[in-house]
Amino acid sequence: MMLKRRQALSSGGGVLAALACPRLLAAAPLKTIFMRGSARGERIWFDPVGLAVAPGTRLRFINRDQGNSHTATSYHPDNYDRERRIPVRATPWDSGFLLPGDSFEVTLTAPGVYDYYCIPHEMAGMVGRIVVGMPEDPLWEGARGDSDDLAAQAAAGFPSVETILRHRAISQEAKP
Amino acid sequence: MLKPLIFAGLFTLSAASAAPALDADAVNQSPPGEPFVQVSEALPLPEFIPGLGTLFVDPAQLPAGPFLAYDHAGKLSATVYMTPLKALQDGTAFDGLAVGSSTVSAVDIYYNGGHPGVDEPHAHVVLFHDAEAKARLAE
Repeated sequence: MMLKRRQALSSGGGVLAALACPRLLAAAPLKTIFMRGSARGERIWFDPVGLAVAPGTRLRFINRDQGNSHTATSYHPDNYDRERRIPVRATPWDSGFLLPGDSFEVTLTAPGVYDYYCIPHEMAGMVGRIVVGMPEDPLWEGARGDSDDLAAQAAAGFPSVETILRHRAISQEAKP
Repeated sequence: MLKPLIFAGLFTLSAASAAPALDADAVNQSPPGEPFVQVSEALPLPEFIPGLGTLFVDPAQLPAGPFLAYDHAGKLSATVYMTPLKALQDGTAFDGLAVGSSTVSAVDIYYNGGHPGVDEPHAHVVLFHDAEAKARLAE
């Protein structure tokens, strides 16, 4: 269920449940991740770059960068044949390009660590990490290690899972 | 005494390798016509980019350009070049690039993290063609 701009996607086994009962989506908690950039594009980032949420949380990505377009794209073979960096039970998502003011929603239900990136800005380190649930949750899947599939700038951009769980939301400036 | 000699040498070098100006009648007003295409119609970017205006480029000249930058009234206000840092570091040179106008009032050079079309860190080199151009392209 891929829904663009002002639509939503449910990832990780919740798709059928959401279709059968739309109230599930409507009632799900909502968190927002902004796509931001400096005026001349020197810096671009997800805000927050690290976020901890409960399973079933709706995530809304909103492009607040007036001079650029962005994507929120999960690392997965289905997306440009990238290595998987989301739980195996999760459904990959790709927002497509969001122009200023556009938004995209996804609902994450499978517990574990989700890494994602912005297609045109991955090489500038615009990546993010979402932690769904807690490590003690059944079927939890932790963070993937470094890989040749990742540019150094991207690999350096993920806050640690421990830091995300401790602070729940990590701004770019506060990223360790 | 040394400085004038250096400047004279630089001027001679610059004049010898001067970039060709595009046909002013063809590009002074938007749209510039073929082979230029409007960037926002070919790529997912805003039609008017704050600081750069409405951009047109010859796709064959990507990534460096020139990108022709027009204000809200469609007046050619700047010529922009986008040069990937890695390509420069690896030894690529972007020589003999055309300019939208031979009148240049100021030049800005700054880093950009990337955007559709040039999706890697690069430098923006912006040649403004009149004193008010920067303000007109600002927003």
